[in-house]
Amino acid sequence: MTKGVLLFCFDTPDFQYHKILEKCVALIKKNLRLQITVVTDFETFKNIKPLGFVHYKFIEPELGNKKHGLEWRNVDRHMAYELSPYDTTLVMDIDYFPFTDNLSQFLDTGYDFLISKDAHDLTNRNSFDTKRSSMIDMVWATVFVFKKGKKAKRIFNMVKYVKDYYAYFLDLYRIRDRRFRNDYAFAIALEQANGMITYDTMPMKLPTLPPDCRVLQMDEQGLAWQYNDQVNYTREQDVHVLNKEVANV
Amino acid sequence: MDIGELKKQSDISYDIAVAKRNALEKTHARLVVVYNEHIFRADVETINLVKTLSEALTSPLYVLDTNNNPVEISEPKEFLKKLIERNQEAISSYHQMSKTFEKRGD
Repeated sequence: MTKGVLLFCFDTPDFQYHKILEKCVALIKKNLRLQITVVTDFETFKNIKPLGFVHYKFIEPELGNKKHGLEWRNVDRHMAYELSPYDTTLVMDIDYFPFTDNLSQFLDTGYDFLISKDAHDLTNRNSFDTKRSSMIDMVWATVFVFKKGKKAKRIFNMVKYVKDYYAYFLDLYRIRDRRFRNDYAFAIALEQANGMITYDTMPMKLPTLPPDCRVLQMDEQGLAWQYNDQVNYTREQDVHVLNKEVANV
Repeated sequence: MDIGELKKQSDISYDIAVAKRNALEKTHARLVVVYNEHIFRADVETINLVKTLSEALTSPLYVLDTNNNPVEISEPKEFLKKLIERNQEAISSYHQMSKTFEKRGD
């Protein structure tokens, strides 16, 4: 049984995501000690510094999605099943920095698909616990684990179906955000594929820094951030950083 | 005490509160443990349950994982040892961090 991490990384005209990838890969190698496959395009690949033993898969990212008016190349996550060379795969956003080995144990479960429903705001503002207007629980597609087989394949097929009829499903579940978000696509697909009842989750809140926090310093142990006039830090705790300027730290 | 000093103390208290909340969340994440292909929390409830069942019954034991799926535990002592080790690793780390909070608050 092979195990590994699958990452998606595409530079855009506005952000050099490959710099974030380089930081993430170093932490995966140090803490998770798993094989790594990066899904990218040739333009991004040319910018990535040598990262040692890392596999690459090249695709042309689907364009057209935007976030705050800027190009947002996030639409290809539904292809993770086909693109992963592993029997059990941990799919992670490249801005999720694994400062611990906590995630690696989830590749040793008997579950076919695991995802988290909760995030922890590291600034203590509970900014991810906003009032829910949609009819279903949301998930964080930032980190998920799947084991190749009929059940996982069915979930990914459903994600593709949801993606094709995305506007319809947003209306069906009263989701107001009209951008394509993997979080919503996976939440809808899991709801549909699991008989509209319940599904298995990872019992952890993803520690997350909101986009208005500026990362001041980062090393292999943790990072420090500034929010307004407050400076704080965390060590040996995974962190999902939403401010893309972390690329330049 | 002037208002500047009060503001400073308030900022320090806020920083400590944020750090403490994050440390607690870090501890909760570390308490998650995978055993026998299932997910458990190495918390007080699980440890007490496994200890009580292992003393009252002969193995195997049956417990629920975090997704409420039933799991057969054929080696309760091994499972309990793993739960206790993870629990104390996480809580002792939290304890060390709490010492730094006290220093910052002095």
